[in-house]
Amino acid sequence: MLDETKPLFIAVAEQIEDGILDATYPEGSPVPSTNELAAFLRINPATAGKGLNRLVDAGVLVKRRGVGMFVAPGAIEQLRRRRREAFTQTYLVPLLREAAQLDITAHELAQMITKEASR
Amino acid sequence: MRSRTVIDLYFVNRMQAYGWPILVMVLALGIVLAVGAIVGTQGAEARAGMYEGMTWSGAIFSLLGPMIGYGFVSMGQYFPLALGLGLTRREFAIGQSLLFLGNALAYALLITIGKTLEVATGGFGLQIRFFDVFYTGTGASWQTFVQTFLLIVATLFLGAAITSAFLRFGQPFIWLGGSLLGILGVAMVAGIVLVDGFGAQLLELFTLGWGSWMGVIAVIGLLSAGTWLLLVRRTQVP
Amino acid sequence: MNALETRELSKHYRDVAAIDDVSISLEENRVHGLLGRNGAGKTTLMKLLTAQIFATSGSMRVLGEDPVENAGVLSQTCFIQESQKYPDGFRPLDVMRISQGLYPAWDQELARDLVADFRLPEKRAIRKLSRGQLSAVGIIIGLASRAPLTFFDEPYLGLDAVARRLFFDRLLADYAEHPRTIVLSTHHIDEVSNLLEHVVLLDEGKVMLDEEADALQSAAIEVSGRLTEVDEFTTTAEVLHTARIGALATATIVADGEQTAAAARAAGLDVAPVSLQNYIVHRTTAAAPAAAR
Repeated sequence: MLDETKPLFIAVAEQIEDGILDATYPEGSPVPSTNELAAFLRINPATAGKGLNRLVDAGVLVKRRGVGMFVAPGAIEQLRRRRREAFTQTYLVPLLREAAQLDITAHELAQMITKEASR
Repeated sequence: MRSRTVIDLYFVNRMQAYGWPILVMVLALGIVLAVGAIVGTQGAEARAGMYEGMTWSGAIFSLLGPMIGYGFVSMGQYFPLALGLGLTRREFAIGQSLLFLGNALAYALLITIGKTLEVATGGFGLQIRFFDVFYTGTGASWQTFVQTFLLIVATLFLGAAITSAFLRFGQPFIWLGGSLLGILGVAMVAGIVLVDGFGAQLLELFTLGWGSWMGVIAVIGLLSAGTWLLLVRRTQVP
Repeated sequence: MNALETRELSKHYRDVAAIDDVSISLEENRVHGLLGRNGAGKTTLMKLLTAQIFATSGSMRVLGEDPVENAGVLSQTCFIQESQKYPDGFRPLDVMRISQGLYPAWDQELARDLVADFRLPEKRAIRKLSRGQLSAVGIIIGLASRAPLTFFDEPYLGLDAVARRLFFDRLLADYAEHPRTIVLSTHHIDEVSNLLEHVVLLDEGKVMLDEEADALQSAAIEVSGRLTEVDEFTTTAEVLHTARIGALATATIVADGEQTAAAARAAGLDVAPVSLQNYIVHRTTAAAPAAAR
């Protein structure tokens, strides 16, 4: 459920980010509380809190005292921008490496992508 | 008060602590009464002989016997549990002492009542002795009370002291204690056999008056209690 | 504030040092893992901290005070011992009743819930309980006591998968609602690793690791690929473990943050995370030959 290659709190933060990007948590809506998240993911509440606070620091979530945390306006845009920047490293580089092993040229790869996307 | 917990711990096992000893005692009393009834049919002389002989009857140890085990169990089982539950050694020692004294008081009272009844009814009408024996004192009722109380208290504390010493010093304590007792026994036998008049003097030493004997038991009890209290504050849970 | 701290704490049995010069600090209101192999000194350390045994040298502070013969500290401390013995005739019911009187924050309702959850036959003599049921007795007391400092020594012994999950979930839920300091000592590291915030690893009585769980999670990585490439990449790294099959190899190496993983990927190697359990296994086995040398 969580990405194990990263510290747990980062994996928690990324899971919430995924939820924001796929509109599980639209902008302005509340996200789960620390304890809800901890019980659901079966992790220490402190770790869940650390993950949420990371998003608060990044401006993705806003904290309302005594009420909880909410998705900040403009969060989706911000996340998209950041993820696009990382897209090459996380997806393209491994893709090209595998393609090279299979003797797939960049041109063939582009064709495959276009074909798959149009399905 | 947290020390009360020690008493609660013992009352979990009411049957083991109080029920069985009293039941066994009742059973032993029943057997003695049956013997009395059988011997009673064989005439007054046999009855008088039995009355005399039963002065040394150890049937009362059916009640006193478990007391010896009680002292051992206190340190062997209840001490680790009490500490495991977060009691201090001091709290355990206070609760355990109160329990020892309370037990001794209760059993001494029981035996005194039994003895008084026994004497008043002429051995329950059967000329038997169960409570009114050498070990509990054949004198007045108050003497029986004092004697049994001291005896039980001393036994309880002695058992606790021995177990604490074992927990503290381990196996060497058993070897050392056993060897000392053995040497003492051999020395006594050797003295009686080899030295003229040693046996007679020894006998004289043991035929102290009642009061002096009570003093001896009290000293043994106090020494045991002192040793135990000293050791228990330094005892570790095995 | 620290829930407990030790300074150069040692416990010797004749010539064996069961605890050797241990200096640790455990922050309050966190879940700490006390890990190590059998005989590493975990139980001895917990017995020292709860004043069941006396230290040979060094000092300790538990809830700010010396715990030895300290009723104030000990009534705030609950130690669930794997080897706790009960006298004949004791039933779970009796132990719970007595615990209720001893722990100021005891929650009877929680105890009742847990008895039902674990399906504990509370009126059966403890001596007749299975190992798992005996563990359940400890877990129930440990949770319901709500002691500000709670030690669990091998709480999982004999528990089946359902009961283990139950313990984890109930501990997590109760801890979230009533934060307190929990020290978990267990061999089931994988099962509790997501719960631990801080880890102390003991080996032969000494502290081998004393780290935040976050740091440990990324402390090592497993790189795999062609033998030559793995060898080349790991020449400068601290290698904890290697395995090879034919021309392929896998190495567990100490990682220096994200860079090591990135460098490995750049070198064409596959990178996989190393679980806390595997990391600890590798650290303790790597230490054994080093000590023998």
